[in-house]
Amino acid sequence: MIDTIRLIASLLLTGAGLFCLLSAVVGVYRFRYALSRIHAAALIDTVGICLMLLGVIVATGFTVASAKMLVVIGFLWLTSPVSSHLIGRLEVTINDELDKDAAVMDRAYVEHEKEAELPIETAAPTDKEEDA
Amino acid sequence: MAKIRPDYENSWWPRFLRWLESGSSALDDALLDELSSTAEEHLVEGAANASTREAHDEERRLLSIRDEKLLYDRIHRWAHSKGSRIIRWLYRITAVAICVGIIILLLNTAANLPPFGSPDNPVNNEVSQRYIEQGMQETGAVNIVAGMILDYRAFDTLGESNVLFIAACAVIILMRLPSSPDSKPTTEQLEAEADDRMYEPKNDMILQHQANFLVPLILLFGIYVIMNGHISPGGGFSGGAIMGAGLILYLNAFGFRKTERFFTFTTFRIVSLCALSFYAVSKAYSFFTGANHLDSIITTGTPGMLFSAGLIPYLNIAVGLVVCCTMYAFYTLFRKGDM
Repeated sequence: MIDTIRLIASLLLTGAGLFCLLSAVVGVYRFRYALSRIHAAALIDTVGICLMLLGVIVATGFTVASAKMLVVIGFLWLTSPVSSHLIGRLEVTINDELDKDAAVMDRAYVEHEKEAELPIETAAPTDKEEDA
Repeated sequence: MAKIRPDYENSWWPRFLRWLESGSSALDDALLDELSSTAEEHLVEGAANASTREAHDEERRLLSIRDEKLLYDRIHRWAHSKGSRIIRWLYRITAVAICVGIIILLLNTAANLPPFGSPDNPVNNEVSQRYIEQGMQETGAVNIVAGMILDYRAFDTLGESNVLFIAACAVIILMRLPSSPDSKPTTEQLEAEADDRMYEPKNDMILQHQANFLVPLILLFGIYVIMNGHISPGGGFSGGAIMGAGLILYLNAFGFRKTERFFTFTTFRIVSLCALSFYAVSKAYSFFTGANHLDSIITTGTPGMLFSAGLIPYLNIAVGLVVCCTMYAFYTLFRKGDM
């Protein structure tokens, strides 16, 4: 009885993870713009792999291997959103025609980003003062 | 002691040098003539023959220009008609010969290879058997791979570490921007830094918080992999790569000003030098005592303990340091041209 429930639960979790992975892959190919594609690709590392690993954990029970899988989920959740965030920020910083590509945007943030890249000479000494 | 010849200018070596530089014997003679004549004329003072001398010089100059032009035309014509044809033919013949030679060699080798999977193959000799059966007793390393690469075949691993170091040297030669003698940054360095700051994530709070949490973990994990190289899978190469990745993450989060406090070009030099020379010296001692059946101070210890397996953990540390520094150096050199 308990084995059946566990099997069904793990199947459900793995199936949900598979759905997330598939939709993310479709999104990577369908979306036209870099920021939208990042939105789709970040889904793979966070939700997709998390659900798949949870399914595997439920299927194997609580062993050392499943504890390692939990740690893997934790590290993926720590690192993958940050890398997506950095890619998105770089895109906002270096794209000069953001108006054409992005329909909705936080104009104040974008202005702040664009201005931050200009004053190189002023930015360097402030860092130095912090160090001192 | 070399003899000083009075007619050194006319001996064959300076003639050869002159011929190399100018490429024309006619010009050489003209030059020699001029040299000797001006030397003589300097002795004869007087404004009277100044005008005639100038006219003479002018005439000779025109003559030499004409000679040079003729010579250039001749060589140019030869190079563009006959010479290029000869070189093209030589190139083709050499290329075909080299290709055919390599094809024959490889086909011959492939034809003489032993049959795949046969137990009589040279691969299946007593060496691998011995590694597997007696590796742990002889080297003291539970991880047989570590025992092989750092004990039986330690020279091989020294070569690999040196390959990494040489690759780093080549990248430094190609990518490092020249620094000025008075330790001020040159314009090129400033430009490179400005370029670098364009694409750098500028003090990104999210990345910094994540790096604060992750970098110590990554470095710790790298140290664990290096130190347990002789007990569990891992070792200097993989642990060094992990540590290098941690350093690169730290650099990306906090910028060069923070990393320059503990990792500069001098650090790279000192660490690489110390690690490689420690490896070479300790392994030379080990090989010397082993080959001459002398008593060695290196003992294998209890297999499975942290400080066991003779030199292997220390060699792992040396290799790990070299790999870590090389990875970080590659990244910084490709990014900014300096460390």
